[in-house]
Amino acid sequence: MSAPSYAIEVRQLSKRYGSVSKGVLALDHVTLAIPKGTVFGLLGPNGAGKTTLIKVLTGISDITSGDASVAGFDVRTQSASVRARIGWVAAEVILDDDFTARENLWLQAKLQGLTNWEPRADLLLNYFSLADRANDKVSKFSTGMRKKLEIALALLHQPEVIFMDEPTIGLDVSTRRMLWDIVTGVHREFAVTVLLTTHYIEEADALCDRVAIIDQGRVIAEGTPSELKARVKGDTISLETSREIDAPRVAALAGVQEVRPQGNEWMIRVTSAEATLPLILSCVPTETVRRVSVEKPSLETVFLDLTGRRIGQDEPMRDIRKFYAQMRQARR
Amino acid sequence: MISQFWGLYLREILRTFRNPFVLLVTVVQPFMWLAFFGSSFANAPPAVIQAFAEGNSYLAFLLPGTLSTSMLSVGMFGSMSTIQDKRFGFMKRILITPTSKGVIFLSKALGSASRGLVQFPIMVVAATVFGVSFHLTAVEWLAWVGGLFCLAIGFSSLFLAVTASSTDWQTPGVVSNFITMPLMFASTALFGGQYFPSWMKAISSVNPITFSALLGRSFVLGTAVPWVNFGYLAAFAAAMLGVGWFVSARWLKVE
Repeated sequence: MSAPSYAIEVRQLSKRYGSVSKGVLALDHVTLAIPKGTVFGLLGPNGAGKTTLIKVLTGISDITSGDASVAGFDVRTQSASVRARIGWVAAEVILDDDFTARENLWLQAKLQGLTNWEPRADLLLNYFSLADRANDKVSKFSTGMRKKLEIALALLHQPEVIFMDEPTIGLDVSTRRMLWDIVTGVHREFAVTVLLTTHYIEEADALCDRVAIIDQGRVIAEGTPSELKARVKGDTISLETSREIDAPRVAALAGVQEVRPQGNEWMIRVTSAEATLPLILSCVPTETVRRVSVEKPSLETVFLDLTGRRIGQDEPMRDIRKFYAQMRQARR
Repeated sequence: MISQFWGLYLREILRTFRNPFVLLVTVVQPFMWLAFFGSSFANAPPAVIQAFAEGNSYLAFLLPGTLSTSMLSVGMFGSMSTIQDKRFGFMKRILITPTSKGVIFLSKALGSASRGLVQFPIMVVAATVFGVSFHLTAVEWLAWVGGLFCLAIGFSSLFLAVTASSTDWQTPGVVSNFITMPLMFASTALFGGQYFPSWMKAISSVNPITFSALLGRSFVLGTAVPWVNFGYLAAFAAAMLGVGWFVSARWLKVE
């Protein structure tokens, strides 16, 4: 039997929480095929279903309908085999604070049923520059060090796939950049497939070989970041004015593809912002213009194009609450 | 399976000894019982002590009962440790490995039972300080500890089964209040059962705390040893382990 070419395969997968009438359909007939050896990103706003998909694939949640396999094993019927071949990095750092770094590795080795784990643990401690702190309690570690140790735990048993659930949420910019380097390095050095979820556009763009955009439990687009951005033809001009603009007149300008209102702004899709922006501004009384911004094709504009919303729009408070809840857990 | 069990079991033990507060509570709680409750009959007429305590020392009578009732709180701590793991996400970390829910249950139950036995040597030393003398053979010491261990496993399993699907900190406390009060007073842990009403006698006659208290008391007071009680406690532990394993395997939730 030939080895499967996909690290993860998901077919028509649905997950419902609660009853059919009152419950929530968190995943709605999701189909994905994630090639081995890739860094695959699930990009979407909070509540899109990203974490639910990870829970289902790691065996934490049951499947309502559909099929999924990880590392060639059926998630539903061969759960133990799946769990022996995956690693997991949580959004909130989850370590045993009463233990040292080495003791956390020891416990992970026991849970994975490893016997000769110490050479691998030493290698990982060295790789993540934690060797000199191996015998310190992890409660004394910085957030970055805790994240590194968590990734080391995920790699200890040489998994085929690592799941990273919003690995950089709540981190400062420098720690986030460090994590990006680590994810790239881990993928390269340890030959592991990485499935990460994020709602940071730049993170998906910087780290992922392929990205699936997920919204309201459905995968609405999938491809390499370049392929996805190529779907958006042209640039997006956001124009905020104090009065309504003459939309039909703007739409009739050369190079304007689409004009649509969004909140307090007008989103104007144009072939080239450089060529068209002066024409647009000539149609709008100068004193009514509050703000103008131009976006070149990005995963953000892809999402906007597909859903008519920005990632994170409508949910700022939810995001902040989630962040603070995770920080509280990390600092316990 | 053995690897996972051993890792999680040792984690329970190490965490206990690294948390001075938990250790302190584990040790001090039964000691307080002995010191305060045991001393409350210090000046009682000998006839009263004879009637209640089947001997001259209420402390000697009370020690096996106190050790037995303290195994109830051991169960509550085991259940709280599980809920803590759920709330801080550690349970997810465990379950995203080839570790079964049954093994998690087993490690928690045996871990908290082992932790409970820390009380034993301290209580024996404390009772000695209070004037109780011990004349037990090695087998009797082992049987006494074994009986308490079975009782602790039984109650730990019971608590873990009842709270398997809960992530609420309050649940173990509520369950504890519901279980502890009737089981403690409807037993012969604190008083002899000769003055109980018939319905309390009925509960006491099947209450594992009664069986454990009577077993331990026979060793301390030097009366005939009811070895059948040891079998009853072992059966109680085995039955509760079975129930706990089944319930945890089916209903242990991580969130």
